[in-house]
Amino acid sequence: MRKLSTYACVLAVVATATLAGATSLRAQAAKTAAIPLAQLMAAYQRPHDVPSPAGNPTTAAKVALGKALFFDPRLSGSGAISCASCHNPSLGWQDSLARGVGNAGSKLGRHTPTILNAAWVEPLFWDGRAATLEDQAKGPLAAPAEMNMPHGDVVRVVRSIPGYAPAFQAAFPREEVTIDTIAKAIAAYERTVVSGEAPFDRWIAGDEGAISPAAKRGFMLYNAKARCASCHSGWRMTDDGFHDIGLAGDDPGRGKLVPGLVILDHAFKTPTLRNIAERAPYMHDGSLGTLEAVVDHYDHGFQARPSLSAEIKPLHLTDQDKSDLVAFLHTLSSRDGDVAVPTLPR
Amino acid sequence: MKPIVVIAATAAISTLALAGAGLAAGLVNVEQKNIAFSTPSLTVAKGSIVNFLNSDTTSHNIIISGEGLSMNSGLQQPGVAFKAPMMKAGEYQVTCAIHPKMKMTMIVQ
Repeated sequence: MRKLSTYACVLAVVATATLAGATSLRAQAAKTAAIPLAQLMAAYQRPHDVPSPAGNPTTAAKVALGKALFFDPRLSGSGAISCASCHNPSLGWQDSLARGVGNAGSKLGRHTPTILNAAWVEPLFWDGRAATLEDQAKGPLAAPAEMNMPHGDVVRVVRSIPGYAPAFQAAFPREEVTIDTIAKAIAAYERTVVSGEAPFDRWIAGDEGAISPAAKRGFMLYNAKARCASCHSGWRMTDDGFHDIGLAGDDPGRGKLVPGLVILDHAFKTPTLRNIAERAPYMHDGSLGTLEAVVDHYDHGFQARPSLSAEIKPLHLTDQDKSDLVAFLHTLSSRDGDVAVPTLPR
Repeated sequence: MKPIVVIAATAAISTLALAGAGLAAGLVNVEQKNIAFSTPSLTVAKGSIVNFLNSDTTSHNIIISGEGLSMNSGLQQPGVAFKAPMMKAGEYQVTCAIHPKMKMTMIVQ
C-alpha cells in the first residue's frame, strides 16, 4: 500500500511536469527513479485467454446457437424485441439511449449496459443481482418491462422452431431445450464479445507512438490526480465493484439488494471503459452525454451524501487536465470487426 | 505481482504449519490487494484473530458471515487493518461489500 501511495503521489508530480514539455513519460520516469511506470502499465495488460466456466465451457456449437438466440425477437412477448435490440453491436453493444426501451415502448429505469467483455464480469446488472452471465441471460427474457416472455413460453417457442433442434443437439447433446440450456448458449455467445486491441493496448505493449502525448498525460492523471483508477482499474478499466458516485436521483441501486450498508445506497456497478468514446450517453442513468461532462462530474459535480464513495473527492482538475483525460479515454477504443447478423432458424 | 505471490505462498505455508502442529490460535494475516484476498481459503484455530490488511489503493468493506455470525468491518480505507476474532468453529464466507468478486472461505476449527 505504501509503495502504491508513493507511486500515485510521484505520478501526480510527473503528470504536471510533463505538461511543459514533449519529453516522453519513460524519459521522465528514468529521471525519477521511484516511478515504476512499467509496473503501472503492466496492471493494464490484456489477458491472453477468455474465461470459459467449468459449468458451461465455451464451444463453437454453443456460440453459434447462442448467437441465433441473441438476435431472435421471437423470444419476446411482442415478438419484436431481441437481446440485440438493446445490446446492438453497432452501438457498442448498447442502444445509445439514456435509458433502455423495453416492451411496448416502455422506458426502463436505467441505462443499457454494454455486454462488451462480459466474459469477465461478475456479478452482472447495474445492481449486481445476477451472479453469473447465465443467470443474467435469463432475466431480461422474462422481465415484463423488457422482453416480457415467461421462461416456460421461451422454451415452448424455441422447441416449436424445427431449425433450432439440430443446433441444440450439437450444443447440448445430452440435454433438453430448457431455460438453462438457452441461457447457457446465450452466455457462451456473449463471452465471445471481446473488445479488440486499442491504441492504448499497443502503447502498453511498447509502441510509444500508439497514443499521443496528451493521452499519455491523461493516463498519468487517470492513475493519480484524477483518481479514476481507484475504481476503473485493470485492463477492462473496472473493479467490478459498486460505488455511489454522487449522481442525483433516488434509485437505491445495490442498496436495495444488500440493505443495511450505507455505502451501497445509490451504488452501481463500475462499468468498463473499453470503447467508451463510442458508447455515449454515460452513467447508470444515462444522464451525461459526453466524456467531458463525465470528467466534470467527477471533478466537482457530484452530490455529497452519506453513501458517497470514499474515492469521490474534489479533483481540482485544470482545463488541460480534463482535455488530457478525455484524450486518454479515446485511446481505449478498438476497431472491432463487423458483426454479421445470423439467419435465424425456422 | 511478485509480492502477492510471496504473500499467498507465505499464508499457505503458515496454514500448513498450523495444520501439522494441530492448529494453534494466533494472529493470522490476510492481505487485500488488487481487489482480491491473498488466499481464497483459510483454516484457522478457534480463538484466532484474522487480521485483514487493506493493501489496495481503494477502500474495502469486509463482511464475514456463517454459523449465525455476521461481522462487518465498515469502510476500510487503504492501509487500514481489520481484526476479526474467530471464536466459533465452523465455515465462514468472507467477501467485500464493495467488491463482491472478492471471496474467501474460512474454516475455523
